[in-house]
Amino acid sequence: MNERSVDVRNGEFQVDVLEGDSGDPLLFLHGVAGLEWTPFLERLSANHTVIAPRTPGFGESTGSEKLHDIHDLVMFYLDLLDELELDHLPLVGHSLGGMFAAELAAVQPGRFTHTVLASPFGLWDDASPVVDLFAISLEELAAAMYADAESDAAVAIATAPQARMTEVDPDTEEGQATIHYLVERAKSMSTAAKYLWPIPNRGLSKRLHRVTQPTLIIWGESDGIIPASYASQFASAIPNATAQLISNAAHMVIEEQPDQVVQLIEGLLSK
Amino acid sequence: MKLEMFHLCPYRDLPEDFREKNRSVWVDPPRHLFDAEIANRTYNQTLDELKYGAEMGYDGICVNEHHQNAYGLMPSPNLMASVMSRETKDVAIIVMGNSIALYDPPIRVAEEFAMLDCISGGRLVAGFPVGSAMDTAFGYGSNPSQLREKYAEAEELILRAWEEDEVFSFDGKYTQLRYVNIWPRPLQNPRPPIWVPGAGSIETWNTCVEKGHLYAYLSYSGYKRGKTVMDGFWKVANAAGIDNPYHAGFLQLVCIADSEQELQDKYAAHTEYFFNKMLHIYAGFADPPGYRTVDTIKAGLMAQTTSFGSAGSGEQTFDELRAAGNVVAGTPKQVTEQLESIIKDLRIGHLMLLNQYGSIPHELAKENIRRTAQEVVPNLRHIWSEYEDHWWPQNAIVREPASK
Repeated sequence: MNERSVDVRNGEFQVDVLEGDSGDPLLFLHGVAGLEWTPFLERLSANHTVIAPRTPGFGESTGSEKLHDIHDLVMFYLDLLDELELDHLPLVGHSLGGMFAAELAAVQPGRFTHTVLASPFGLWDDASPVVDLFAISLEELAAAMYADAESDAAVAIATAPQARMTEVDPDTEEGQATIHYLVERAKSMSTAAKYLWPIPNRGLSKRLHRVTQPTLIIWGESDGIIPASYASQFASAIPNATAQLISNAAHMVIEEQPDQVVQLIEGLLSK
Repeated sequence: MKLEMFHLCPYRDLPEDFREKNRSVWVDPPRHLFDAEIANRTYNQTLDELKYGAEMGYDGICVNEHHQNAYGLMPSPNLMASVMSRETKDVAIIVMGNSIALYDPPIRVAEEFAMLDCISGGRLVAGFPVGSAMDTAFGYGSNPSQLREKYAEAEELILRAWEEDEVFSFDGKYTQLRYVNIWPRPLQNPRPPIWVPGAGSIETWNTCVEKGHLYAYLSYSGYKRGKTVMDGFWKVANAAGIDNPYHAGFLQLVCIADSEQELQDKYAAHTEYFFNKMLHIYAGFADPPGYRTVDTIKAGLMAQTTSFGSAGSGEQTFDELRAAGNVVAGTPKQVTEQLESIIKDLRIGHLMLLNQYGSIPHELAKENIRRTAQEVVPNLRHIWSEYEDHWWPQNAIVREPASK
């Protein structure tokens, strides 16, 4: 994997892009937890050149202040794809990135050969509401993200510095580390809030009929952020889609069951 | 020195086990705990107490805006201020204030404040709070990371609506209006003084200094936290060459009695009700992502709403609250001395006092109002007489200090 910074719209955005290097390109859009080169991406890159941009507002990618709403975000991603000269490739999005992927696939269906949406945001069902990601405690968040609350990743979330009610001493090393964590968390969550606050519905249901490429919906059975019942709603709104529920997985399904998810993706792409 | 009476209009009748059985007094307290018959009594007693504060000699009376909570029952403080504009004749009517980022279009605030200023005959103070996270982000669904930008745009629009001589168009990011031409305009020329209630964010200090608005630190965290925040404000203000104490205000809970026993008997339970029930706020509602700016987090400051949240983090007793300075309690002489040292230490020209707070019932509230207004307030008014108050409504009364 290598990482580079890509200039978009004459420097308005500086975007980190992670890239694997074996085979035809595949675009991956990360979720609310941010972007790292995880075992899932490593496995996916065995057969594809995975191109994974970091959305402005997350990490070092800049220009978030120029993105006000989902329309701005879609235009930004189209500019980035133009800059990277990417066309006719599969699109995989997870969580918040799944919502972005669905929007992009609806706007330019001809650009993408296949679409994979893993636990995407974007729809709202009164009978089965998406959890209030912005108000739940870190312990609740960990349990909603991971089926195995004892896993290292879940424990890391549950025991992260509290983003609230914290008085920090900026003169100590520990204080600086906490401040860095809280700043990054505030930045990424505020970015997510642009597309998800107060209800994660920006009208995607009016556009899903335009997602015409072969599409796979993947959902962790015990997703505590977006209930698995949304899988069938996406699948029935998208003309050429199938839904696959994964057991022993929650919102972080792609990281919790990477082998199974990669196998499903390869199955879709071979069609 | 000006002393004003603040009223939160709290729901005074929550059950004894509220704290144990519910996670929050704000945003999602159970609906069945609200009794409209009790609210009927509460609103009318609050209006009576505000009027009584004016009659007893306070310089002004203050009301403020909160949503979906039992802590303060005034989603529209303007309604209360409207009644008070008629019921009083001379005091300042201080609306502390309207959360301007929540109104669409924000000229609604410009219009209602202009109405209040006209009705009251030029006695209005216009308060522009950003608003607590509970009120804005959760009660009114406003994205916390866009709140300050919306606020800044709304402020610009309201000031222009008051001050410009011609009809104009406004092409904002959040508000677009082809014709801005509010009728009425404020009676005060060009506009009422603007007070900004804050809770310790750097951006609010900078805004108040740059624009000349009064900065009021409203918290219940006591003197120590107050000192830290006001020192922060004065550091920014002094750097801009500002040292007038009337540029700043502070809020304090006060109760008065003649003996220790009487204080305990009359006020202990009501004070504990305030801190242990009214400030019992679910942490997830107090500091959503983006509510604090990156600069404020970097400075290691606490959440804006920590002034609510930390005060409510554990049960506290009357004696602990007094020791921490969260409430100033004593004889008139003791209270006068304590308030004088707060006024001078924090360098504030406006002190807002809560005489009714928590579950203090109507008759006791009136006693506390009367004694504070008559036995404490006149003896503090002489402070800062060498400075001019540029933040007082043009037609509100300026009372004389007590003769020594």
